[in-house]
Amino acid sequence: MKQVEKFEINNEYALTVENMNLWYGNFQALKNINMRFLKNKLTAMIGPSGCGKSTLIKSLNRMNDLVEGCKVTGTIKVGDTDIYEKKCDLPRLRKNVGMVFQRPNPLAMSVYDNIAYGPKTFGIKSKSVLDEIVETSLKGAAMWDEVKDRLNKSALGLSGGQQQRLCIARAMSVEPQILLMDEPTSALDPISTGKIEELCMELKKTMTVIMVTHNMQQAFRIADQTAYFLLGEMVEMDDTSVIFTHPSDKRTDDYINGRFG
Amino acid sequence: MTTFVKLKDKMTKENVARAIFAAFAAFSILAVFAIVFFLLYKSFPAFRQIGFFNFLFGGTWSPTNPSLDVPDRFGILPMIAGSVVLTLTSVSLGGVLAIFTAVFIVYYCPKKIKPVFNQLVNLLAGIPSIVYGYFGLTFLMPLLVQLFHVPQAYGLVSSTVILSIMLVPTIASITKNSLESVPMNYYEGALALGCTKNQTVFKVCLPAAKNGILAAMILGVGRAVGETMAVQFLVGSGDNYPGLFLPFRTMTSSIVLEMGYADEILHKPALIAIGFILLLFILAINLCLAAVKRNNSISGNKLFNRKIRESENAVSHYSWHKTGSLQDVLWILSCAVSLLVALSLLFIVFFVLIKGVSGLDFNFLFGKSGNAQVTLAPAFLSTGMVILLSLAISLPLGIGAAIFLSEYAKKGSRFVKTINLFIDTLSGVPSVVFGLFGMVFFGNILHIGINLLNGSLTLSLIVLPTIIRSTEQSLTEVPDSMREASYALGASKVRTIFKVVLPQALSGMITSVILSVGRIVSESAALIYTAGAVAYMPQSYLSRGATLSVMMWFFNSADGIENAPSKCFATAAILIVLVLILNILVTVVEKYFRKRSNK
Repeated sequence: MKQVEKFEINNEYALTVENMNLWYGNFQALKNINMRFLKNKLTAMIGPSGCGKSTLIKSLNRMNDLVEGCKVTGTIKVGDTDIYEKKCDLPRLRKNVGMVFQRPNPLAMSVYDNIAYGPKTFGIKSKSVLDEIVETSLKGAAMWDEVKDRLNKSALGLSGGQQQRLCIARAMSVEPQILLMDEPTSALDPISTGKIEELCMELKKTMTVIMVTHNMQQAFRIADQTAYFLLGEMVEMDDTSVIFTHPSDKRTDDYINGRFG
Repeated sequence: MTTFVKLKDKMTKENVARAIFAAFAAFSILAVFAIVFFLLYKSFPAFRQIGFFNFLFGGTWSPTNPSLDVPDRFGILPMIAGSVVLTLTSVSLGGVLAIFTAVFIVYYCPKKIKPVFNQLVNLLAGIPSIVYGYFGLTFLMPLLVQLFHVPQAYGLVSSTVILSIMLVPTIASITKNSLESVPMNYYEGALALGCTKNQTVFKVCLPAAKNGILAAMILGVGRAVGETMAVQFLVGSGDNYPGLFLPFRTMTSSIVLEMGYADEILHKPALIAIGFILLLFILAINLCLAAVKRNNSISGNKLFNRKIRESENAVSHYSWHKTGSLQDVLWILSCAVSLLVALSLLFIVFFVLIKGVSGLDFNFLFGKSGNAQVTLAPAFLSTGMVILLSLAISLPLGIGAAIFLSEYAKKGSRFVKTINLFIDTLSGVPSVVFGLFGMVFFGNILHIGINLLNGSLTLSLIVLPTIIRSTEQSLTEVPDSMREASYALGASKVRTIFKVVLPQALSGMITSVILSVGRIVSESAALIYTAGAVAYMPQSYLSRGATLSVMMWFFNSADGIENAPSKCFATAAILIVLVLILNILVTVVEKYFRKRSNK
């Protein structure tokens, strides 16, 4: 069987977006985006509703392909590989660029099978290897102790926060290099949110994390870099401390200081 | 530098899967065209020798009368009149019964007995039409003779009564669905104005559901025109235009009653031609249905607009009255009608069961069957064989088609619209027409002959639409977020469908299997001339064999059967018990899966 390779990431940027435009039918949702995401750092994307940040994050592993009438121009590269090239191998892309969604979406299977589903997709059959992956992933998502006695029960019976951490564990089960998180805590209570934020701080030690968030305090707490979006444009991207204290663009300043949005 | 990206999977394996599913979906189109083409092809000799207009507008049907010229023997105008008149009377009566019943179930039925009532309606739908017919023949007709002091009761009255009861579940269930989808705020809005509940139901909710009710009535028309086995017991077979107590024919009853002894030269082609004309009726009805479904917009109420304009000039002294007595009457009517429907169902069930039990003994059920004594043992085997093979054919086809429609197809594309139209058309084709097609195409053109294989092939076409629709329904209920989760892990579309989506749609697929089994068990018109009506144990799929329903027809029509009525009732009782079990199974399966998904 052919090996599914990781992407080669040789410089400090894991992911680069160049001159990217995106249309839904005739509506241009993203305008000339240029961004570089630092390797093994957490980058947050903030901005008011409808500014295009979710659209952008969904383009990074081509989940937007599922949207009818969606058209992309420009280049998005993981390492040196253009993911919008015709011969791009989608399963390889999505294995290495994982995703966690806004609402927890566990599959209608047991906890165990939820985690094992990804590795099985990529040809791992051995029960002992799968067991190991399930345990590591759940430990990685800091929920092994909570679910180790109910691995064979339906994942749909978990609480919302547990479901979301399960989804993170599931995303990690295929050892992604980059993890995309689309408002992962917006449907959760403050305690679950705290747990997920802690988890993110752990995750970024080994992988690049890109997160869309509505919550500016969250970005301030956990992000190394922050990008501000408005009306389909990326206004400004810099170290989080800079964005929150001395933004160079007035629009960012207005948003951060609550004068707008 | 700028790359334009076509967002399409290029992987060949995926494309192959897509093509296969699309082919399965397109199969319904092929089936409908094949039915139309081969019936026309085989009825061509009749049209040529009789003349299309002589055939259609001739007033005499007397195929074996040597004193008439050939073109004068084959006139089907009385049959067309019979079908049309019977359809109109029974859809009117059945429609009224069904709408009142639906209103009762949705708005008035106490919560506790609502599931029971729904079950009763489903049961009403599940009883084989031959059982209804036999009930009419043995209970209703003698009753009518006594009540009206007529010499015999074949005719419009008896057939209308039975057929309208048979139409109730079809019309009621669709009416019920469209009433349930009337937005709650209509109801609340009317109540908030001070309308009584009855006024709200009959003046606001019922009119709001009128499109769905119209669709239900048209579907009822299709069922009524195509109904065969019940009708052939009740209309008699007189060469008359329909009358209250006058034996007449319908298109369907002539086909099924005469096919057994028709000669190959002209009589058989003429019967097939009747089937073709019947098919044209059904296609026209289906087009009406499609048009109604498309026209789902809410039209403005002209009366209301005018009243507003008048009131602008009115002097401001109104006097307020209490109204709504008409709606109170309607409320009482709807309770009475639904009670009547429920009681008639229970009566039919118990009548058949009580009459049937006395005829049941071990020897009749499982004894060796032959010329000397006819038993049901071969029928059990034949029924099982037919169920197995037709499901083995139609399940993969149907599930594949459903996968294409819900997972691959672009909603609203022309291809999908066409496929949907043809699936609906296929589900509206009467079983007697399927029977003719099986006889002509599988039996004659493919040289399969008349045997269980032919019967199973024919039945697999009949149950295909049920399987497609039921599976598609449960596939669309699987939330998109689960598909996204799978794709985001890098899983392919095929893997996502088979590992994530299909397992979730299991309950729908199992339901479709049970419904199909019910349909197969109760089918007789499509089997008599494809699988045969014999009393012998089938040796293989290449021997003839009669299912339980066909055995009822056999007992009633074959010569020299000892004690035929008691055997008919016994078989009918077994059929009803089977239908009851299948109905309970559907409920159990749905409950089980609902519980599992809530856990």
